[in-house]
Amino acid sequence: MSAHMKELTKGLFKENPTFIIMLGMCPTLGVSTQVSNALGMGLSVIFVLTFSNMAISALRKIIPDTIRIPSYIVIIASFVTIVEMVLHAYVPSVYAALGVYLPLIVVNCIILGRAEAFANKNTVLDSALDGIGMGIGFTMSLTLISLIREVFGSGTITLFAVGGFDGVIEIPGLSESPIGVLTLASGALLVMGYLKAFFQWKSSRGKK
Amino acid sequence: MKEILRTGIILFLICAVSAGLCGVVNSVTAPVIEENLIREREEALAVAAGEYSVGDEVAIDTPDANVAYTILDKGNVVGYVFELNATGYGGAMTIIASYYSDGELISAQLTTNSETPGLGKRAEDPGYMQMFTGLGSDAPLPSSSADLPAEYADAVSGATVTFSGVAEALRNGSALAKSLGGAV
Repeated sequence: MSAHMKELTKGLFKENPTFIIMLGMCPTLGVSTQVSNALGMGLSVIFVLTFSNMAISALRKIIPDTIRIPSYIVIIASFVTIVEMVLHAYVPSVYAALGVYLPLIVVNCIILGRAEAFANKNTVLDSALDGIGMGIGFTMSLTLISLIREVFGSGTITLFAVGGFDGVIEIPGLSESPIGVLTLASGALLVMGYLKAFFQWKSSRGKK
Repeated sequence: MKEILRTGIILFLICAVSAGLCGVVNSVTAPVIEENLIREREEALAVAAGEYSVGDEVAIDTPDANVAYTILDKGNVVGYVFELNATGYGGAMTIIASYYSDGELISAQLTTNSETPGLGKRAEDPGYMQMFTGLGSDAPLPSSSADLPAEYADAVSGATVTFSGVAEALRNGSALAKSLGGAV
């Protein structure tokens, strides 16, 4: 596997932003109530992370060290604003569902974290791959959490409405008597904790 | 001094380019967003009026509502439809609600809002407003979740602030419909 591919794949499992680096917890816990929200948030983060990583990497020799954080925030905020306006105009339902979490991508620790830890030290290509990999890793984790929370918490799987399909799959048996606590904030922490424990167990078992 | 100037100019350039980019995208998306909002409002007004037709706009002078239209049954004014302002957990919300002239709520729908998905956001569900419909004239609209029948407890729990905001806006709307009282 080439060095470039490594930058792409490390975000998926080995350095998964949610379960290993534990970055970006607020949106993870906040929007993971429905699968469609998780996918919308994940795609937005992939876009913002990739482009902000590329921009920051391209400017890494120009931006003086003293003002790097304000510069990163301005760059990230611009991409977030662009995503926000595009979603608002063309997919209002996703925009409405993401609500306040969309502008909060600006202060999402994953994006600033990758800018500070990776993009300002590496080439544009590696930074772009890092952004895509981390973004996909974040989306996968978010989708996994939201799948568990939605299936057990409300007995449904909400995807996007296409044609005659209204986007909601009801799971018989669970939709009548769901485990309501999982859709609440405490349920998010519970699911997150169990999943973290599971991945910890899996990785520690591999080492022996 | 030179270093500060250099740093300042670089930061200024980054901000200028970013702002320019946002401006370009905004000039493309702003008209589309505007159209979406207008279409959404028209659709919501028509839905709120239900079996009646939407009549003329009524001039109102209150912070509780943005716009008011009469609703007509065979040409006679039977009530009003308002776009009401409400305050929820995530800030300002708007509700489109229709009332008979005596203040009874016909139907309501939460439109613009930034409520928490899965909690306050559930107020958008068509079933949510059923706890308010038919109230407002003889029976009062609820002002706290304690006034509700037990069957609605699930819809409200975890989203008390949203509920209070919706209930308050609907009470304001009911009062407004009464004060307009059938006269155009």
